[in-house]
Order: sequence, then C-alpha cells, then structure tokens
Amino acid sequence: MIGWSKNIYRTLIISSFIGVIILILFGIGQVLSYLNTGADRSSMLHITLNQEQVYLPKVIWEDTTNPGRTIQKQTLLDIEKDYLNAWYVRQVAYQTNLTKGINDYYTTSAQQDIIKGLESNRKKDIIVKGTTTNHNLVLDFYSEDGQLAVLTDKNVNEYQQVLQKNELLLETKILSDYQVMLLLEDGFWRIRHMIKKESQIPKDSLQTEKIAQVIGTKIYVDNQEFQIKGINYYPQNTPWDMFGDGFEINVIAKDFDIIKTMGLNTIRIFVQYEDFGKAAVTKEKLQKLEQVLDQAEAKDLKVIVTLFDFYGDYSVLDWTLTHRHAEQIVSAFKNHRAILAWDIKNEPNLDFESRGQENVVAWLREMMLQIKQYDPNHLVTIGWSDIASASILQDEVDFVSFHYYQDIDVFEEAYKGLNANINKPLILQEFGVSSNRGFWSPFGNSEKKQANYHKQFQEIIKGQNIHYLSWTLYDFEEVPQSVVGSLPWRKHKQKHFGFIDAEGNRKAAFEFSDN
Amino acid sequence: MSKKQKYIIFCIPMLLICSIGFKAVVSESKEAVAILQTEEEVFEAGSDIVLDFELSASVKTQLFLHTAFGSTIIESDTGHFIVPEFVCEKKGLINYELVYNSKTLYQSKIRVKTRKEKSIQLASYIGPPSITAGGKDFTMHVIIPTDSYDNPLPDSTAIQIKHQFLDIENEETLYSKDMIGWSTIYSYNQSGRMLLSSKVGDKASKEFSIEIFPSLSEDFQISSERKHPYADGNQITKFITSVLKDRYGNIISDGTLVAFIIKDINGSILQTQGSTINGKAIAKILHPDHKDIWEVRAFVPGIAKSNMLSLEYKSVLEDFDVIFTKSNRKISVGPLLSFMDQLIPDGAVVTLKISQDGEDLETKIKTSSDGVVQFNLEEGFYPSGNYDVEIKALGVQKEYKNKKLQ
Repeated sequence: MIGWSKNIYRTLIISSFIGVIILILFGIGQVLSYLNTGADRSSMLHITLNQEQVYLPKVIWEDTTNPGRTIQKQTLLDIEKDYLNAWYVRQVAYQTNLTKGINDYYTTSAQQDIIKGLESNRKKDIIVKGTTTNHNLVLDFYSEDGQLAVLTDKNVNEYQQVLQKNELLLETKILSDYQVMLLLEDGFWRIRHMIKKESQIPKDSLQTEKIAQVIGTKIYVDNQEFQIKGINYYPQNTPWDMFGDGFEINVIAKDFDIIKTMGLNTIRIFVQYEDFGKAAVTKEKLQKLEQVLDQAEAKDLKVIVTLFDFYGDYSVLDWTLTHRHAEQIVSAFKNHRAILAWDIKNEPNLDFESRGQENVVAWLREMMLQIKQYDPNHLVTIGWSDIASASILQDEVDFVSFHYYQDIDVFEEAYKGLNANINKPLILQEFGVSSNRGFWSPFGNSEKKQANYHKQFQEIIKGQNIHYLSWTLYDFEEVPQSVVGSLPWRKHKQKHFGFIDAEGNRKAAFEFSDN
Repeated sequence: MSKKQKYIIFCIPMLLICSIGFKAVVSESKEAVAILQTEEEVFEAGSDIVLDFELSASVKTQLFLHTAFGSTIIESDTGHFIVPEFVCEKKGLINYELVYNSKTLYQSKIRVKTRKEKSIQLASYIGPPSITAGGKDFTMHVIIPTDSYDNPLPDSTAIQIKHQFLDIENEETLYSKDMIGWSTIYSYNQSGRMLLSSKVGDKASKEFSIEIFPSLSEDFQISSERKHPYADGNQITKFITSVLKDRYGNIISDGTLVAFIIKDINGSILQTQGSTINGKAIAKILHPDHKDIWEVRAFVPGIAKSNMLSLEYKSVLEDFDVIFTKSNRKISVGPLLSFMDQLIPDGAVVTLKISQDGEDLETKIKTSSDGVVQFNLEEGFYPSGNYDVEIKALGVQKEYKNKKLQ
C-alpha cells in the first residue's frame, strides 16, 4: 500500500515537474515570438502584404505626363492601389466610427481631419455607408525622389446612406473632383492633403447603334416591332448550373431547335454571380456564354440574360465589386445581336426583408446606370417576383418585368391594373405551374391540369397582347438546394414545371406553349 | 356607350384620388419649404459658418454636410445651423442638403478658402539628398505652403527659394500650382555642400543641405614601394595611386574602391585592393617567393584605369642543402640562406613531392623555422622500397630519384 502511494506521488511530482517545464518553455517561446513580430524586415517594409482587393471602383488614368519625374507603371499601380485603399478604409471608418486602418493610408495630420469627423458622428450616433463608383485620375506632379505625388481625381461619383440610430436619414449621390497629395511613407502612399473641388461636367459618351430599344409601350429590335414569346431556359441535365462542367453546346443547340418549333422567339437565361467568378469574371465562363449567344443568334432567338443570380449582399461597400462583375460581362457582349436585354437580378424584392428595401433598390438603381454606361445598345429590366413590386424603379428600367405564380383567375385584372399605371412595355417574365402530383403532393396538379393552365394563360395573353416567357422547358431530375431549400416537397414541385418531362417526352402542356 | 360610361365612372374617382394625392404632396412640401437666408457662399477657413434657412413651418430639420474628409449631419429646430468647427477649418467645397423627414428640401454648396493670415506653415522636401558634380545631375526642391489649419495656399502663391554653394548665392521666385511650388537645382562643377531655403511671405523655412559629390574618376597613375627587390615571400610591396580626380578637378569621394590587378610571368592573375582617402588609394601584397616579373594595373571598376607598372623580383638563393638520414626517412632541407647569406625569415614555404614508379603519392608542405624544414616519411605510410623525391623552395627545385627507404 505504502509502495503504491509512493509511486503515485512520484509520478505526480515528476509529471507536474515536466508540465511546469513545458509551460515555462511555452511561455518563453510566446514572449520571444511576440517580441519578434513586426521586427522582421518584410513586415517592417510592408513588402509582403497579402491583400485581397475589396474595393474596385472603375479607375481610369486619363493622363500621367507631369512636369516632374516620368512615372513608372509599377509606381502608378502602387499609387492607385493605396489611393483606393485610402478610400476604402475611410468608408469602413465612417460605417463603423472606428479608426482602424486610417493610420496606414493617411499621414498623421490628415488623420486628424477624419478622426474629428468620426468623433462627431459617434457622439450623434450617425453612421455613413458610402462608396465611390469611379475615379478618373490625372497625375499632376511626381517628384524627382519619388516620394511625393499630386493627382486630380475627376468626376468622382459618391453614393452615401446616412443613418442615425440605425434609421435611414438620407440617401444621396454627389459628383465631385478632388485634388490629392500623397507622400510615400513606410512603403505606403499616404494621403497628405485632399481638397474637394467643383466637378467639371463629364462629356457625354457617344451613343452607339441601339440593337434594341423601347419607344412608348413597344419594344423594337432592329427597328422592327418585337413581341416577346419566350421561355425561361435551363438545359435539362444542368439546371441552375448552365455554364458548369456539364456544359454541352450541342445539347443547347438542340434545345434551341425545340424552342423554335414551339413558335417562340426569346429565351431567358441566368448568369450566376459566384459561378462566373465574382469581381474577376473567368474567361472560360464568358466563352461559354458567348457560345450560347452565338447559337441563339444562329437560331434567330433573342436572349434576356439575367445577371447576379444567387447574389445577395447589396451592402454599399460591396458595390464596386459587383460593378466590375457586370462591366466585364456586359461590355464583352455590348454588340452581340442575340441579346435583347440585361435582366439585372431575378426577383430582388424577395431580398427586401433580409437586406433592407432601400439597400436593394439603391444597388439596382446604380447597377442599371453602370450597365447602361458599358452597354448602351441593349435594354435593361428587373425580374420582379410579383405584380406589387413591378412599379419599383419603373422610370429607370427600359421595360417592366414581373413574374406571376398566383391564382390565374385574377391575373387579367391585376395585369390591367398594372398596365394602367405604367407606360412602358410590360413583360410577364415567368409563369407556369408544376405538374407535381405524386407522393410529395397528393393534391398537386396533374399534367392535364398543367396543360389547361397554360391553355387558359395563352388565351389571356393573346387577348391582352402580352409579352411573355413561360417557366420552363424541361422537368428536372435534380434541383440544387440553393434554389428552393432542402425540403423534399418543395424540390419536387420545382422539378415539374416543364413542358417536356424527365424522360424527354412532350407533356400535354407542350402544345400550349404559344398562342 | 356603356363602355364609355364605365370608363367615366372609373375615371372620375381616379381623378379625385389623384388630385387628393397631389394636394397632399403639395401641402406637405408647403409645410416645409426652406429658403436660404445666408448670402455668403465663400468662407475663410476657421471662420464661423452659419447657414440660416427660413422654414415655412417650425420643424426639426437636419443639414447633411459632405466634405473631402467625410460626411456628417447637424440638426436644428429653427433652421439655424452652426457648421462644426472641423468642417469650417478645411479648405474645399462643401456640399450640403437640408433634410426633413428623409426628404431633401434644399441643396447647394459653399466653399471654404485658405485663411489669409501671417502664420503660414512651410513643408519642404528635397531629394535626392546627394547628387554628382558636373551640371547634369539635379535635385528637386518641393515646397508646400499651408495656412494655420493645414490647408494648402491657393495656386500662384509666390515662393522665394534660395541656395548657396561656395561663393554662389542664387534666388528664384516660384509660383505654386497644384498645392506645391517646386524647382530643380542642377549641380555645379565643384563638389561640396549646397544649402537651400525657402520663404513665403514672412515665413522662412529652416536650412536644408544637399551634398554634391565629385563626378566619376578620370584615369590615374600608380607607383610601387618595396623594401628590396628580392622574392623572399616575406616583405610587402605597396601600390599607391596618384590623387584620383574627376574631370572637373574634384578629388573623388573617400572610400572609392581601387582594384589592382597583377599578372605574373605565367599569366596568373593576383589581385589586391584599396579604397581612397583624400583621393589616394593604397594596396599591399606579399612579395612572391620565387623569381617573377609582375605587371600591375589598377582600376576603378567600370570607370577608370591606371598606367601599367612592371616589377621584377629576384631570386634570394641559388641552391640549398638536403640531408637524408635515418635510412632516408628523415629529410632535412636547409639551411635556407637569403640574399645576404642570412637565414631566411621563418615561414618560407618548402614542398616535398614523393612519387613511386611515376605515380604521385603525396605532397607535403611545410614552412621554414630558423631556415630549416624537416620531413619525416613514416614506415606506416611508406613501406620499404624505392621512391622519387622532389623538393621545391623559393623557386629552386631539386630532384632525388630512386631513394631507398628501409
């Protein structure tokens, strides 16, 4: 017994001794590594800052010849990057009323001017959510020793939301010029002086040949009146993933033939924000989109391209990233004859509750301006999910798009009501019904009911002469979770909206896909 | 007919509703119409800015202010707005919007200009801080004059800049543009220190200096110094350059590296180097330990070269004794006698090369002590047999064939 407890004491003492040693060594190690942080050369000179660009307004260097030293391209890039970062950290500071990051991009004296503003806002519980959408830079001066630069930033478009106690007080857009002096300190180009000036009104860019336009309540394509008879399209095997690994242009071409035989002239397709590479759009995806558009042109189909599918941030500081996304896609196809319109976003009104209506609407409004800037040839619209939302931004869109999945019997009245209030073309951009009778919904519609539904709808459409796109060509085998969630009966419903079933057979509704 | 009636029945209430709607809008905006009372649009930095609005109703309104460094909101119940100090202090355009119930009632802008007063601040930047003489290289003097609130003074502000160099004193007046005044200052033919200063109004800057370094070295001469001309491997030869000067006669900067390249009689290259002090560089090298002729030339690499110098080293001895003892296993070389028959200073290198049947076995290298070197060929390494022995010292070579080791 004594021997036992002796051994226990021994092990306890030895192990606690070892433990204490480990702790002491660990502590010393921590202290040493703490003392070493910031002392190594790469971090002192800021040469290995791994930054992701999170602020990407459109930047154009209009002129870099200056009376001082000729500037190298790399220096120009450095200045541009730090200048944008300076804007970004300031936007974040005004959004949080914290001074984080300010000291990296503003000199000590310039920091004071920001800090005073932040303190004042903090006391009054004001936050400012802001962003800039474009910067047109002119280099006024670059010193011989490469330590000082003066630049003018022309026609800076600033958007700001001012909130007091989290209530939106004001939403505003301001156009200004800035003259900025930057000094190179500790490897950062820091703002030393910044003076706001009256902006010179920008020159209007030349309007190019419009491929599609709206006059009154009518749509014209190549100067011919155009009545949209269309369908929302996903390939059968790759729904909600049209440009993924399963992309097959031959399959799509065959589908286009089917759509043509249905007597339709328009399709609506979807471009997913993340899938296309967010702010840096991947070339491969653009090529796939181009193939689809070329194919549509060959088959004489017009295309409504819905952008920003599955996008849901809308925060003011995320604007510039989405602008770059849109710019790359839209400017690549600004002269493509297959495109009828850019649909900014599918059913953005569903995000009103979670993201705030004013945020979503402000984002849409600015995005339309951006897209028009890069592509004046095609139309823009927004795919609202119901008639109630359709009048939002009606002055900004070229035509008003809405979806209708409610009771068919009250559609005609609702449509007439809407038509009376809006004097732009109205497009019924999605409608349809699922033939989902089965295990998950024993009281769902049969294929026959679906056919009747489309028959009835086509009669109304014909009567009112409505532009329409139905949902959708195919029944799908799989519906991704991100579309309708994971509940099996919801997924099941979404699988059976098509005119052609999963086996490729034409359903009863097929013959009522047009009038 | 009935359709028309229906239409009218539909239309009249609609019109009514619309007119009520319009009335509501009109009356509401009437409720809060604002007229700006303040006439001034331009203010001096640091002065109090007050914006007065006459409101058609006494309601609480907000004034949104947008400046170069950020935005803020101030509130008032009377339409009397006192713009915060930090906004009044900064030069530039200020956009403002009078807001009531999230609606903008009035929007316009005011401008804050630089404060006209005596207390000007000057920030000067001069760079590069050192340039070379000759009038091609230059430095840049940038002056940023600001008012007491750190606002850059307006364009076309006169700035006096001065510089002094040797007995030259120069003055120039610049006019600022894009917040700064700047000038390039070219070097003179002489090297030395240039002092610079600037002045705006009564405000003078402190003194700045830049260094004008001599330009690149021209070609130069070298000479040598040695204690005796013998190749004893012991004494040191010194190479000395003439004073290195640039084309304008400035002595080139201290610390300029001069490399001395030496080619011996076999074409091998030796090198030594020295850096200049007061324009002269000195480099040293050990005498060779055998008869040789050196050809020496010095370079400031990539810039300048010297004349060629030829040096001859005489052999210190003609011959030396070699004594084999202990069955030829102990070889004693020496005494090695130098040019006055003195014992050669310690450290002269003696090599012993042993071979057998034409195959090299070992080369032993030893240095002399008291003029003598001893080699031992141990039994363990060299079993009994015949060996060839070759001994070299101070350029003299002696061979012993078929030495029998017991």
